[in-house]
Amino acid sequence: MKALLEKLQIKEVNFGACAGMDAWQEDSEGRELISYNPTDGKPIAKVIQATEKTYEKVVSQAAEAFKTWRMLPAPKRGLVVRDLGQALRDYKEPLGELVTLEMGKIKAEGVGEVQEMIDICDFAVGLSRQLYGLTMHSERPQHTMYEQWHPLGIVGVITAFNFPVAVWSWNAAIAAVCGDVTVWKPSSDTPLTAISVQNIANRVMADHGLKGIFNLLVGFGSVVGEKMINDKRIPLISFTGSTKMGERVAEAVARRFGKTILELGGNNAVIVAEDADLDMAIRTILFGAVGTAGQRCTSTRRVIMHKSIAADLTERLVRAYQQVPIGNPLEEGILMGPLVNVAAVEDMFAALEKVKEQGGKVIYGGKPLPEKGKQFVEPTIVKMPSQTEIVHQETFAPVLYLIEYDNLDEAIELHNEVPQGLSSAIFTTNLLTAEKFLSHEGSDCGIANVNIGTSGAEIGGAFGGEKETGGGRESGSDAWKGYMRRQTNTINWSKELPLAQGIKFAD
Amino acid sequence: MAKNNITLETTVEELVEKYPKAVGFLARHDVRCIRCGEPLWCTLGELFREDRVENPQLLIVELNKFLRKEKQT
Repeated sequence: MKALLEKLQIKEVNFGACAGMDAWQEDSEGRELISYNPTDGKPIAKVIQATEKTYEKVVSQAAEAFKTWRMLPAPKRGLVVRDLGQALRDYKEPLGELVTLEMGKIKAEGVGEVQEMIDICDFAVGLSRQLYGLTMHSERPQHTMYEQWHPLGIVGVITAFNFPVAVWSWNAAIAAVCGDVTVWKPSSDTPLTAISVQNIANRVMADHGLKGIFNLLVGFGSVVGEKMINDKRIPLISFTGSTKMGERVAEAVARRFGKTILELGGNNAVIVAEDADLDMAIRTILFGAVGTAGQRCTSTRRVIMHKSIAADLTERLVRAYQQVPIGNPLEEGILMGPLVNVAAVEDMFAALEKVKEQGGKVIYGGKPLPEKGKQFVEPTIVKMPSQTEIVHQETFAPVLYLIEYDNLDEAIELHNEVPQGLSSAIFTTNLLTAEKFLSHEGSDCGIANVNIGTSGAEIGGAFGGEKETGGGRESGSDAWKGYMRRQTNTINWSKELPLAQGIKFAD
Repeated sequence: MAKNNITLETTVEELVEKYPKAVGFLARHDVRCIRCGEPLWCTLGELFREDRVENPQLLIVELNKFLRKEKQT
């Protein structure tokens, strides 16, 4: 572990506020935060959290940096992001390992997350030459009309523990080519991965003679987060977290007419139709429900299965769950690690009590695994008689609800009944069923898939969801527009002053 | 009488950091401190109001009792 931390420049005690190389903000008045390894509960390292003073320094420096960064042509900004992607390639293995060490997802997923960072950097480099605006034909003679996209300023990026580095990069790489600077508040469960990323970004910024483009503030949400969402110097807050917190963020930012990108809770379902390829469905459900120990926003939480295949699917799912190797996520062959902290374990078992009260039957799992460690649990399958209140809630743990249906309309109704709308999938070999699911009378989610699962999105598509998921879009497609402001320009190259709509005024 | 460590002014983040077992106790009283694995940013008083706890003061007393008992075991 020591060698890994040294490679990533993590010290025993680290400062948590930074605006670039040699710009770590030291304030001994900051509260100490200990980062624990969820596998064995032992401390990894400490972080001195941001204070009011260091917050002010970082945000002021970011605001200054924006003034010069926005003047650099976008393709030149892309070169900085290209080098960031290159640096991440160099650190892919150790950074991925640190993700695993600090939050408990298996190493293949930790390294995969860093690959996602590299992918979005590559995407952003290309994007830096494609920040297109439309041109329109003016209704007035000898007039030209078009729109341009300008940078916004500081983007506040608030991320959760479950994707401690990828979500930052979705925002930071895109924001950077758009001409924005970012201030990042990571989860208090994963401050060390954030400090490692900041160290990498610092070197890239320094190579280009820059600082203040990528900035970091480690601190409690009730301290640093509240300051960010109420800070008028931060025109955009990109928040990843719960619906409940999203409400608070949206209200505070809207009160000052700022913008938000909200990526909130999911309650993702897979519909398994009577004609589905069950082998594919089972592998997908297993990855979606057990991967990252059920702690992804896109984790599969519900299986809505046709009555005719329900018994077979259930039996095979239970068999698949029995074979899941659980243990130290750094070890080869392990498929499920611990939950992120003891509180998450508490939350899971409190939810399972409610499941039983509401008529659910645990058909696999449902117990802690203290012999493996305090934060290990059995992945759990629950048969529900209907979608009761607890099924409508997102429990951030490996709990999978099974529900049966008779016909496709009923399946879609059950699917859309929950308040969240992030990701969805259907398994079917019938084209008509697939198309109906993807149509406007089908899934109401931001992501809808056929014959692949609810998680494991690529960076090229826009990521986000509807309803209580918040409506924000990050990552690929045209999500970049959220990081810029649109300006409509009209240029009169005539000697007259015609008004729109043919209005005559003081002619 | 034992002093109450936790008050309505305690932040949820502080509670979750220091007393993670409180999460299960409160969830059984229909108060959820963590969502999507992350603690809420408010105080317990604010959370109790939002979750419509009828007698917030009583729940705080019960929570402190629970945590004292947990400490002893």
